[in-house]
Amino acid sequence: MKIKTFLFTLMLFLLFFYSGIILISAMTLISNLESSKDRSLREHYFIASSYAKDLNALENRGLSIDNGVESLYRSYFNFYSKQKVILTISKENKQLYADLIEESYELPEIPKTIKTSERLVSIEKLVDKEYIRVVGTLPAPYDSYTLTYYYNVSDVISSWNKMTVSLFLIGMLICGFLAVSLLFVLNRVFKPLQLISSTSKSIANGQYGKRIEVKGDDELAEMAQSFNHMAEEIQSQMQQLAIAAEQKQQFVDNLAHELRTPLTSIYGYAEYIQKIVRTEEDRIFATNYIMSECRRLQNIANRLLEMATLRTSVSERKKVEMSELIHDVEQSLSMKAKKKQIEISYEYHFNTLFCDADLMHILLVNLIDNALKACSSGGLITLNAYIENEHKVIVVQDNGKGMSKEHLNHITEAFYRVDSSRSRSAGGAGLGLTLCKQIAVNHEAELSFSSEIGKGTTAKVIFTS
Amino acid sequence: MATILIVEDEIPINELIKRNLQSVGHRCISAFDGMEAMDELAQQEIDLVLLDIMLPEIDGFEVFQQIQGTPTIFLTARSSLSDKVKGLTLGADDYLVKPFEMLELLARVEALLRRTNKEKRNFELDGVEIDFKSRQVFLNKILVECTPREFDLLEVLVNNRNIALSRDKLLELAWGYDYMGDTRTVDVHIQKLRKKLKLESRIKTVYKMGYRLEV
Repeated sequence: MKIKTFLFTLMLFLLFFYSGIILISAMTLISNLESSKDRSLREHYFIASSYAKDLNALENRGLSIDNGVESLYRSYFNFYSKQKVILTISKENKQLYADLIEESYELPEIPKTIKTSERLVSIEKLVDKEYIRVVGTLPAPYDSYTLTYYYNVSDVISSWNKMTVSLFLIGMLICGFLAVSLLFVLNRVFKPLQLISSTSKSIANGQYGKRIEVKGDDELAEMAQSFNHMAEEIQSQMQQLAIAAEQKQQFVDNLAHELRTPLTSIYGYAEYIQKIVRTEEDRIFATNYIMSECRRLQNIANRLLEMATLRTSVSERKKVEMSELIHDVEQSLSMKAKKKQIEISYEYHFNTLFCDADLMHILLVNLIDNALKACSSGGLITLNAYIENEHKVIVVQDNGKGMSKEHLNHITEAFYRVDSSRSRSAGGAGLGLTLCKQIAVNHEAELSFSSEIGKGTTAKVIFTS
Repeated sequence: MATILIVEDEIPINELIKRNLQSVGHRCISAFDGMEAMDELAQQEIDLVLLDIMLPEIDGFEVFQQIQGTPTIFLTARSSLSDKVKGLTLGADDYLVKPFEMLELLARVEALLRRTNKEKRNFELDGVEIDFKSRQVFLNKILVECTPREFDLLEVLVNNRNIALSRDKLLELAWGYDYMGDTRTVDVHIQKLRKKLKLESRIKTVYKMGYRLEV
């Protein structure tokens, strides 16, 4: 691109520059020749008329015309030959007194039919030299004589030649300078492009952190800026992808672990029944474990399925009466709460919530269920729905054992457990809060937790839409 | 026999290991987290610890550093090399990755107990007395001649008593992996043992499985 631009620019410049030079020099030549012609015509006229006058005077003095012509011619010729002018005189196309003219000059034929007072101008070449020739008769009554005037213009032409040559030489020099400075300018212009190309190459090679330095505020700087923006976007996308991949890997690892533990138990108890058990009591004991571990696997499978459907399907949101929602939640948890002797209080300060009733049910039940797990008997759980900063908010608060900040950051991760043995023995799959988070995201709601060890945990759902 | 502390937070697995070890005659104590394990270790003499690495509160490595001296087998669901190396460089005696077969656990426990000489080296049952050190068997105080292979088989049965062992497993344990014989060989040797030691009522045939020494 750079080379192309360079060559094109240079060629165009050369073309216009030299055609300019040629035009100018041609014009100069033409105008020079024109002025020489005018001068020659004037001279010829002057010479012819003074010749006729002198001839007349000589005739009056009694000299024969022929003699007079000759003597006058000689004096005129001598006088003008000093001024690079050659004069010839002829009668009826015959040149007279040719002895004066150097032999090497072969004068061209003079046109035969020349009328009185008419003059012909032409450019002739005599022995490598350019002459302007003016042919005309002497004024009457001497119009039988033709006076031819040659004016040497070889100087004009040779000086024109010199000028043209020097113009070309100077032109060449200028072209050289131009080429160098053009190259320099183009280098400067193309430098950002080269920078961009080298930077994009290194980005393509994996150095996503590479950026272009932005200078000034022209189009190139703008381009560099948008390039940098693009690189940033790519980098952040790559990072997001990497994080997502890592999370997925983490999920798979955890899932493998979660599956392996119940499978170890199931296999072990089956082996136990096969090889060791001899009493009915032992068999029931072992089968109980096999069944409960199977149920755990089933739980995990169900939760995974729920999450998968939640991710793919669009929730059907409509206005849900809070009274109905709370009633359903209360119903599904009252038994469990009674069993653990925990009191749950429900309170709401707005009447409807725009949500998917089933999903919201799952979300609230899960949050309260977690609270139940954290509380010992005699505990208190409150569900409070109210409006804060024009957003609907649902808060689930318990006075259970709470957890440390370290745990809080991870509780929505799949299979994360604050207290593994207890949660597992309670039949949890370790996916409850992951599901809650998914539901919250689906409802464009924010799910946040705060907790203090020994005082309890608070889960807060803020509906931003 | 030996007193074994099982430290494992998964209740079903803890219970399972306990029952298996009990059936071969060990005394078992269960602990479900690191703190509990330390308490138990402080209270009584323990011959061997089965220690899970992923424990609530205090992890297995930390517990292990506190109980230096007691033979320990690490149990973990993680099979990562770094964990294994860490466990073994800390001085653990053995390592088992979940899921494991009970027979493997028993074999490793047995081997570790033998190495640390915690295992009583004599076994008595119905007038049969086995001295594992001198590899001699007595019936009613009278020495019974046994081929080395028969003694190996008897030892496997005793070490895994109350556990049904398939013929293939018996071949593998008593004859070794590279033995290319028929499972009929096992039957023949079992018949000989039963006759020589009068253990017809003790060495039971388990239907479609193999044999079990019931104690």
